[in-house]
Amino acid sequence: MTRPELTAPIGARFDLWRWTKRLAVVLAVGALYVHAWNNTDIAPAALVSGAHNFARIVGDMFPPDWSVLGASIRAATVTFDTALLGTTFGLAVALLLTPLAARNITPHRVLYELSRAVLGIARTIPLWVSGLLFLVTVGISPFAGVLALALETVGVLTKLYAEAIEEMDMGPVDALRVSGATRTQVFLHGVLPSVATTFVGLVIYRMDSNVRSALVLSAFGAGGLGFLLFNSIELFQWPQVLTELIVMFVLVLIVERASILIRSRIS
Amino acid sequence: MLSVEQLTKSFGKREVLRGIDLAVRRGELTVVLGANGSGKSTLLRCATRLIDPDSGVVTLCGETLLEKRGEELRRARRKAAMIFQQVLLVRRRTAVENVAYGALGELPLYRSLSSKLFPRELRQRALEALERVRLAQFAQQRASTLSGGQAQRVAVARALCQRAEVILADEPVASLDPRAAESVLSLLADVAHDEGLGVLVVLHQPELARRYADRLIGFLDGGISFDGRPDTVSDDEIALLYVEEDDEA
Repeated sequence: MTRPELTAPIGARFDLWRWTKRLAVVLAVGALYVHAWNNTDIAPAALVSGAHNFARIVGDMFPPDWSVLGASIRAATVTFDTALLGTTFGLAVALLLTPLAARNITPHRVLYELSRAVLGIARTIPLWVSGLLFLVTVGISPFAGVLALALETVGVLTKLYAEAIEEMDMGPVDALRVSGATRTQVFLHGVLPSVATTFVGLVIYRMDSNVRSALVLSAFGAGGLGFLLFNSIELFQWPQVLTELIVMFVLVLIVERASILIRSRIS
Repeated sequence: MLSVEQLTKSFGKREVLRGIDLAVRRGELTVVLGANGSGKSTLLRCATRLIDPDSGVVTLCGETLLEKRGEELRRARRKAAMIFQQVLLVRRRTAVENVAYGALGELPLYRSLSSKLFPRELRQRALEALERVRLAQFAQQRASTLSGGQAQRVAVARALCQRAEVILADEPVASLDPRAAESVLSLLADVAHDEGLGVLVVLHQPELARRYADRLIGFLDGGISFDGRPDTVSDDEIALLYVEEDDEA
C-alpha cells in the first residue's frame, strides 16, 4: 500500500472542525436572507389583499387608446435615435481609449491605470444620475439622454474591448512589432483584424441594451417613449398606457431580433 | 550580421542564459539545437528585444540594439525578421497583405491606415516575395485558408518583403508534417545562400539540422556546448543535449 489515504473508509472520522465551518456558512447565508426579507418589507399578505387593485388597473387598460399610436411611434423613434447616437459616440471614444486600457498593448502602465480608473467611474455613475446631470447641463432634451448613454457606453464597451484584446493571441502582434512597425500600425493591422468580429458583436449587443436604457432615461425627461408613458401613468390614462406599452414591446422586440440576426451573420 | 556577446537573462532565480556568445553570418544557415527550456527561445526574444536581457551586447548590422529605445529601436529592428513556431499571420487578411505587413515600419502613418492605402510599389514587392516562396497563386486568399507549410512560407515572404538581413526562426517546423517541414527548411537555406541573408533557425530535429545547416550550435542549460560545421559535430555531442530532459521529468 503506497497510498494509505485512499484505502481509508469514507467518512470514517467525524471532522468536527469541518462541520463547524459548514454550519457557520449555512447560518450566515440564512441570516443574510432573513435580513434581506425584512429590509425590503416583503409582505405576501399585501400582495394578496392588493391584487384586486392590480387587476382593476389592467382591466382599465382595455381597450387600448389607439389615438396615441402616432405619437407613441414618433416617441419610439426618438428613443431609438437616442440609443443609436449614444452608442455611436460611445463607440468612437471607446475605440480611442481601448489601446490604453488593454494591459498587453498599453503604451505605459500609468496610462493603463488612469484609463481604467476613468472607465470605472463612467461605469459606476447610475444612468439616471448622469441623465439628470446632463439634463441640467444641456436642458430638457433627448440630447441629455444621448450624452448619458454615450458616457456609460464608453465605460462598458472599452472594458469589454480591452478584455478581448487581453485574451487575444499575441503572436501576430509580436511578429509585426519585431518587423519595426509602429504602435499604431501594430494596432491597426495586428490587433484590430483579430478582434474585429468580437468588437462588432459587442457594440451591436450594446445598442440593443441601450435602447432599453433609453426607455428608462426618457422617463426622466430626456424625451421619448418613456416620457409619454410616465405622463399617462401620472394622469391615470390606462388605455393610453397599454398602447404605449405595446409600441415599446414592438420596439424592443425588433431591436433584439435585428441584434441577434446581425451577430449571427458576422460570426 | 547579428552578433550576441555575453548575453545573460534570468527569470526570477532561474538563470536562463549564462553569458551566450554567438554570431549569425551572412549567407549561412545556422541551426541551434537544444532541449526544451535550454534557453533557445529566450535567446531569440532577447536578440530582437521582445524581452530585455539582463546584460550583454547585441549587435545587428553594425548597430548595438540594447540601449536603443522608441524610434531608434524600431529602425534598427527592421533589419531582423522573426518567424515563430505557430504561424503568426493575421488570419483574416490575405496572404499578400500579410507579406506587405513586413514593410509596415517603412510606411508613414497615413499610408498604413488601411492596406488599401499601401503604395503600389509595396504591393508589387509583396507579390514578388510571394513568388519567391512559390505561393503567388495564393496571393488573394485569406491567411486562415492556407496550410501550415504554406503559411510558414508566407511568413518567410514577409521577412523578405521587410528586406530583413537576418531571419530568426523559432522552431518554424515544429507543427508541420515532414514534407512541409522540408519545404520550409530548404526555402530558408535557399534564402540564406542565394540572397545572402543570415538565417538562424531553432530546431528540434537533429537529422534535419544536419542536412540543412551550414553551422550547428548546441544549447545546454543556458550555455553553448558546441558550435561548428555539421561534419565537426558528432552524434554523441548532439545526443548529450537531450539527456537531461528525461531526468527532470
